[in-house]
Amino acid sequence: MKTPSEHDIHAYVDGRLDAERQRAVEVWLAENPERAAEIRAWQGDARELRAALAGADGPAVNSALDPARIRARLRTRRRTRLAIAAAVLVCAGASGAAGWQLRAWRDAEPPMDDALEAYRLFAAEGGLRPDITPRDANDMQDWLDRHLAAAPRLPDLAGAGFRPVGGRLLATGYGPAAMVLYRDGRGGVIGLYARPPSSRGLLPRGERRKGALVAQYGPGGRYNVALVSRADGRDAAIARGALAGSDWAAE
Amino acid sequence: MAEREDIDDQLRAQLPRLRRFALWLCRDPAGADDLVQATLERALSRWSDRNDPDALRAWLFVILYRQFVDGRRRAKRYTWLLERFRGQSDPEVPSVEREALAHSMLDAFARLPAPQRSLLYWISVEGLSYREIADILDVPIGTVMSRLSRARQALRQLGEGDAPTPALRLLK
Repeated sequence: MKTPSEHDIHAYVDGRLDAERQRAVEVWLAENPERAAEIRAWQGDARELRAALAGADGPAVNSALDPARIRARLRTRRRTRLAIAAAVLVCAGASGAAGWQLRAWRDAEPPMDDALEAYRLFAAEGGLRPDITPRDANDMQDWLDRHLAAAPRLPDLAGAGFRPVGGRLLATGYGPAAMVLYRDGRGGVIGLYARPPSSRGLLPRGERRKGALVAQYGPGGRYNVALVSRADGRDAAIARGALAGSDWAAE
Repeated sequence: MAEREDIDDQLRAQLPRLRRFALWLCRDPAGADDLVQATLERALSRWSDRNDPDALRAWLFVILYRQFVDGRRRAKRYTWLLERFRGQSDPEVPSVEREALAHSMLDAFARLPAPQRSLLYWISVEGLSYREIADILDVPIGTVMSRLSRARQALRQLGEGDAPTPALRLLK
């Protein structure tokens, strides 16, 4: 009688063989008593272990391990990372203002790159928490006026279903800047970014695309203002209309 | 949102078995829960990487076991460093729980090396197939079989009391 494989011996111990192969192993065991003793002992151990482990008490409930709680903690950690990224963005701006060489390099950069960067940080789902969650559009404008001297007027996008839902201040190498987010409740997000101009002065009207995003910008009072949104679809068209029709952009 | 809740429910259902396994692996409740937490964090952030959505249990065991092995590797390096500073290693101090379990099947099981403990646990309690275990350990199925033979021999020896180390030790 051929010796069964190691696989079949274990499968026999664990009761995982079909009837035919189980019989074959039993026949072999009858012919090999010394191996049979060991394998029967393994079988006994396996049974005893299963019973002992099944009877042992499981650990007490620990609510900190609930998936929803862990998900929330992961989000907080992600926010912290984003906040660090924002600080790095700010540092890059500051270093740009530090020396003429660096400034020259920075001014050669495509315009309103920082607007796109800020939008990525704040507008993405689970992004940075806003400094303010306004009750209404007036509230939002008051907040902006409090923090930016001669702040630009916020466009009214209510006709298109967009309302201002949050604002966040950013320190840049050119002075304090702000990002105001508009949402339409259907997944549409438009960000208004306002920051003081670089040494080149106010930007003429223009548009800058990067990846899936577009920043449509122009001068707004003393600020360079950009409306940032996804490049394809309705949001970009609404932003374009707002830029063309607004008082601040017409100056 | 609904999808998130569905994922959470699936993970929640696996939570008790993950914690029991982690406890047998670590032999320390706090360490076990840390391990489960790290496992769930990784599972949530890599949810879309699963090869087979139906094999959730085995996938979670893979994550948990690899975290454990990585953690032990780090701990070993750390212990090695400490020993260099101290000039000697501390003798192992058996836990009170271990004393109480002396000479029982569970005691023998608890004293097996962690890889052998995992192997027998997956087979006896979880009923995982040899194939699934080979996937978890990332080894050929033949290797699983020879490791299983050694694990069963070791458990037998410990259970019979002819282990190289005594079952009972004085508490310091």
